[in-house]
Amino acid sequence: MKSLKHSYIAKRVMIYVAAIVGIVWSCFPVYWMIKSSLTPNDEMYELHPSLIPSRLTLDHYKQLFTQSEFMTFFWNSLYVAVITTAIAIILSILASYAMTRLRFRGRSFIRKAIFYAYLLPTAVLFIPMYMMISKIGMINDRNSLIIVYQTIVIPYACYMLISYFAAIPKSLEEAAFVDGCTHIGALIKVVLPIAAPGIAVVATFSFTMSWNEYLYAMVLTTSPSQQTVPVGISSFRYSDNMIWGLIMSSSVIASLPAVILYMLAQRFMVTGLAAGGVKQ
Amino acid sequence: MGHEASIFRTERKLGLAFTLPIFILIFLLMGFPFAYTIYLSLTNKTVGMPATFVGLANYISIFTDPTYWRIVGNTVIYTVICIVVKLVLGMLFALLLNEKFHGRAITRVAMLLPWAIPGMVAANTWKWMYNDQYGIINEILRDLHLISTPIPWLGSMNLALFSVIIVNIWRGVPFFLFSILGALQSIDDQLYDAGKIDGANVFQRFFNITLPSIMPVVAISTLLSTIWTFNDFDNIWLITGGGPLNASSVIATYTYEQAFMYNDMARGMAVAVSVVPVLLILMVLVMKHRSTNE
Repeated sequence: MKSLKHSYIAKRVMIYVAAIVGIVWSCFPVYWMIKSSLTPNDEMYELHPSLIPSRLTLDHYKQLFTQSEFMTFFWNSLYVAVITTAIAIILSILASYAMTRLRFRGRSFIRKAIFYAYLLPTAVLFIPMYMMISKIGMINDRNSLIIVYQTIVIPYACYMLISYFAAIPKSLEEAAFVDGCTHIGALIKVVLPIAAPGIAVVATFSFTMSWNEYLYAMVLTTSPSQQTVPVGISSFRYSDNMIWGLIMSSSVIASLPAVILYMLAQRFMVTGLAAGGVKQ
Repeated sequence: MGHEASIFRTERKLGLAFTLPIFILIFLLMGFPFAYTIYLSLTNKTVGMPATFVGLANYISIFTDPTYWRIVGNTVIYTVICIVVKLVLGMLFALLLNEKFHGRAITRVAMLLPWAIPGMVAANTWKWMYNDQYGIINEILRDLHLISTPIPWLGSMNLALFSVIIVNIWRGVPFFLFSILGALQSIDDQLYDAGKIDGANVFQRFFNITLPSIMPVVAISTLLSTIWTFNDFDNIWLITGGGPLNASSVIATYTYEQAFMYNDMARGMAVAVSVVPVLLILMVLVMKHRSTNE
């Protein structure tokens, strides 16, 4: 009995040690980003940085909002991410409904194509994409990002929505059909309300995927008026010297939308998401 | 009878109408550029110049270039180390979060954080922490008397790749953690009770009950993460730019460099296409896995 209690305590200790290691490992860089964003420059460039700041300042944020182009980057990012997500979700809902409920030729072919598209990394496509976008004269136009991001977001959204829709019993819609509902009516009145939490999660991740995207944004936009936050932040430098105060404060702001959405969505995530539900 | 036929007709029409935009998207914006990439990799395309067909010249040129093989080596090292460590840590922390303890909710939120913040934010923050003069990592190591002179984390030929690997791991663990945690939580508790009655110890229960139950999720997460890690660009580009002297360069950053820094589009595309066979194998494995699970 005594050894049982002993091993129980040992297990508890191990659990708490592991939890603390996990929390410190995950949070320290985030803490350091926030801390640096509030540290005055003279303290920031000291040879012996201290873990806890002795003075705090909002100077970097002031400079960010009043003397840099950050707000332009921010609105561009929001514009691109919101429109991309809206278009992608509507198209994906229709397509996923068709692929789980309607019988038509080519259905399994399109389904396969979507899965392959989901797996195809941007690193393989960015050069021809750049050439295509320049051919249609949309280089350095933030709207080109809305087009290009569909290739990332739609396959992901369909991949997820197909599994959500497939899990909804067909009998529910059949009842609606008996009442004289059309397919579109059944989609709006029966499927959408049930799938709403799932759609919200997919929309969340679609938004963050567009919000975070860096490679296409870097290749396709060249002037600050069209650039998004990920590309804009990297421009806070004098030649090779990074302006760390601006980079850290803008990083904090850039993290907020995605972090807030993730925290709201995380309740559904563990229970609702199948593996591979989210791109890294 | 006529009614049945009309239902089929509407389904067919509606089905095609609903999937047409996706079909156009995939073939026009992905299929076509992909095919075009393969074609252009067989030409001498540079920025602003028309392309002439040169056959396999680009491929012969890259395959005989030691730098290319060095970069392939880096990519393999990067992918393998990142995946193994992310999988092991993700599994351990998933097992942790599957236990009941005070502070579990807060631990869960904290461990989600690296995944929730944008990749470029993670990259910039770590780059700042790695800074050899003002970085906190060197300072902590100095305080602990582990080092006496600052370590050039990003400037050293031997360390640069290792340093970017750490960042990928930091950001990627939660993906494995939450995928595996989801699988763990769907295991029927009765299986464990039965195992306990049969006298199975912790390790026997893990290897005979837990592991087989979460194996499908582990396999698919590993495959997906391998595809993404293999093609990682942001992390490396933002932290080291592939340097110093290609020490941390991988296929994706090398492709970009060839195409946009040296303006050799064709060579860049040949580099990108050269790893497509590996990519295809991984993709087919994912698809196979999906169909056996469905």
